[in-house]
Amino acid sequence: MNRFHIEMESTKLANGLDVVVAPDSTAPVVTVGIYYKIGFRLEPQGRSGFAHLFEHMMFQGSANAPKMQHIKLINSSGGVLNGSTSYDVTNYYEAVPSNALERVLWLEADRMRALKVDDENLKNQRDVVKEEVRVNVMNQPYGGFPWLDMPPVAFRNWANAHNFYGDFADLDAAHLGDVQAFFKTYYVPNNAVLLMLGDVKAEEGIALAKKYFADIPAGAPPPFADPSEPEQAEERRGNVEEKFGTLPAMAIGYVMPARRTTDWCAMALLDQALHGGRAGRMHRDLVLEKQIAVEAGGGIDDLFGYNGPTQMTTRILHKPEYSSQQTLDAFDAVIRDVRENGISADELEQLKVKWRSDYYATLEGGRGGYLPKFGLMHLLACFTLFDNQPQLVNTILEGFLAVTREEVQSAAKKYLRNERRAIVFRTPIKAGVADSAGKKEAA
Amino acid sequence: MASRAMEVAIGVPALAPERAVTWPKRTRARLSNGLEVILAEAHSIPKFHGELFFRSGNAAVADRLPGLAEMTATVARTGTTKRASRQIEEDLRRIGAELSSGAGADTSAISFSGLSEFAEPLLGLVNELAREGSFPEGEFERERRQKLEEVKMERTQPGFLASERLRKILFGTHPYAQVSPSEAQVAAYKRKDLEAVYRELYAPANAILLLVGDFDSNTMLKSAEKVFGGWAGKKPDSKAAAAPPNPRGRRVYLVHVSGAVQTQILAGCHAITRKHPDWVKLGLTNSLYGGAFNSRLVMNIREDKGYTYSPRSGVSALRQHGYFSVSAAVRNEVVAASLTEIFYEMDKLRSVPVPQPELADAQNYLSGVFSMGLATQDGLLSQLSTVALNELPDDYLETYRQKVRALTPADLLETARKYLDSANMQIVVVGDRAQIESQAALFGDLEVFGAQGARLS
Repeated sequence: MNRFHIEMESTKLANGLDVVVAPDSTAPVVTVGIYYKIGFRLEPQGRSGFAHLFEHMMFQGSANAPKMQHIKLINSSGGVLNGSTSYDVTNYYEAVPSNALERVLWLEADRMRALKVDDENLKNQRDVVKEEVRVNVMNQPYGGFPWLDMPPVAFRNWANAHNFYGDFADLDAAHLGDVQAFFKTYYVPNNAVLLMLGDVKAEEGIALAKKYFADIPAGAPPPFADPSEPEQAEERRGNVEEKFGTLPAMAIGYVMPARRTTDWCAMALLDQALHGGRAGRMHRDLVLEKQIAVEAGGGIDDLFGYNGPTQMTTRILHKPEYSSQQTLDAFDAVIRDVRENGISADELEQLKVKWRSDYYATLEGGRGGYLPKFGLMHLLACFTLFDNQPQLVNTILEGFLAVTREEVQSAAKKYLRNERRAIVFRTPIKAGVADSAGKKEAA
Repeated sequence: MASRAMEVAIGVPALAPERAVTWPKRTRARLSNGLEVILAEAHSIPKFHGELFFRSGNAAVADRLPGLAEMTATVARTGTTKRASRQIEEDLRRIGAELSSGAGADTSAISFSGLSEFAEPLLGLVNELAREGSFPEGEFERERRQKLEEVKMERTQPGFLASERLRKILFGTHPYAQVSPSEAQVAAYKRKDLEAVYRELYAPANAILLLVGDFDSNTMLKSAEKVFGGWAGKKPDSKAAAAPPNPRGRRVYLVHVSGAVQTQILAGCHAITRKHPDWVKLGLTNSLYGGAFNSRLVMNIREDKGYTYSPRSGVSALRQHGYFSVSAAVRNEVVAASLTEIFYEMDKLRSVPVPQPELADAQNYLSGVFSMGLATQDGLLSQLSTVALNELPDDYLETYRQKVRALTPADLLETARKYLDSANMQIVVVGDRAQIESQAALFGDLEVFGAQGARLS
């Protein structure tokens, strides 16, 4: 078996900024990322959606790079850039020809040191964010399902249960004072990690990190609200209307075990057994064999990237001639089978090979698609911020490959229980379209 | 226009000298049965990516039924004379592989990736799917019903409704006008029709195999010969459809979606294919207009006015024809205002030469992003397949950046005048008629359609 090893070097600057460099001179391209350890989970109450709105503000101007300059300077260096907000981190990243590395570091340091934005910028980005929510959620069939529909049903702590994209009233209420306070509290070097991956030497990367970031003063350690959930003891259910789509849908989420435990590794393989594409049991049973569902997939969203309560969630769109109960019964049969019978040695072996293969793919490209080493950046950042161990990227695979059949079945029995789950039904407000020639075909 | 004055950044580090961009050596071969093979080594991870392309897609069989090549590709992966559907899926998982099959307008493809240590079994399965598909009756029936649900679902997505309408307007009776079958057409699919398409199109002389990844090219080529060498079959007849008429005059097509809380704008006009000598010029012009975050359109309607989240423009190159288009999902109140800016930026590029510094920025952007394809196996595969499928010159990758950098403001002015054809743009708006019709009608004669495709006025 080939083992794939990532070369890296890491350090912590005096101001608390973590720095990780992973050199690889295959292509004359370098990916730079900064991750701040704050996401939408712990954004201020009464300001739902603020962490994401704030992420937009980070592109609106800093002390020496006014509005539009940040984007212009990266694009005109031959690079691409973006940012994203998730549960527990917010990231900013660029992939550029390696001759632009210093320029990128200068820009990132400038906005870590001093954000410089005004009311006009805030109004502009509030408008942009509202169109983002409309295009991704409010004007799309099954928009936000289940990632926005599930939390208020599944969780009781506001941190885990609120609208992460933001209620429009909360977005409207946000003002410049909130922006500056959030920046001052969480966007401090001692709450961040800087990553350089690709065409940069380790010692060069660390020297440049010092050159551009060392004089940014540390901030007070940021306060973090407690995201823990009271123990769930009953199945929870909720309903959401579907405005455009005509197929009934449901999502079933089970609370996950704590990160980096044996149960967690077993659940990751169980997730592959249940949701691993066309070979996964959900798709195979519900779509291919019983033909109740049109779509049955999902699983753990970003296994390595969360640092608080989360779920493994199955998303099902089913044919209207099957009731919700019939569909749920078919889903439950899949769960029951894995709880009662576990998985075979042969299936476990297949899952491990696929898991290893997928892990390598994540390291090379991953969720960014167009962005080289996005996945490696994400893993190194999360392992640094959550575990203080970027080297985990080279060892974490072992834990998954060591999982036994007994551990998989034990995790299924322990975590795939009705009193640990929540179900959201997304119900179309209009029935199927009348003029469809193929209507009876779907029976 | 109340735009803010652009401020400049202070103290920006200069760019270091560029490191040379070296594209990996490609090994090209033709197997004894005529199958063309292109390989490139990329050792970033212990995996490889591949595509088995056939140079015929939905357009080649559109005279039978729309989407027939796509349906053929879908069912082809569900059974062979040796393996049933479930076996295929488990065998893929056993070797850590991903595989998908599909067809666009011009090609059909089996796309795959997997661990290098299992390269030969994966190639073996690809070969089996390409040659020994058994089209099981039950699988065909299930996939057909699945497709019916998919085509119903598409009609609830604003992006689909916009692109479907635009393609109909731009391509008329040409096969490129069909982006998806209707429910009635899916209902009319027959298993034997799929088998006929499979027998005709899936032939080595019609195929090209691309492999990129962590392998030794000579060894991999031997594996390919061993696996695919015995495959025989003749090249299908190809017939080019008559060129579609180029629509003249700006017209507006409103697709009514009751209750839409946003409007999807998509406007387009005829352009060129990748083989055309103006292709690189148009790429750069597009990048300045709306093809990059830093482009004029994004800076205008997003960063200045906040009308939209994701405006963009692009050039879509099909094999026989290409088209230029611009899209934005905007709030209902600013449909007219957004269209005004969309045309303003187009007309400005058509009438005022691009300042030299802005041109240099765009040249850097396009040549930098082009080289990112080097950094990942699938990025490189995608570049190689573009070259191979469009029959571009062998040195296309090596010379692209020079061609971009050689362009002048005069080239761009000429290109914008030719292809950013603002007077003849066909405008599609998808949204709630009551909220947007009067705004859209300001831009040309307007017709209204329903989401199911019927004309409403």
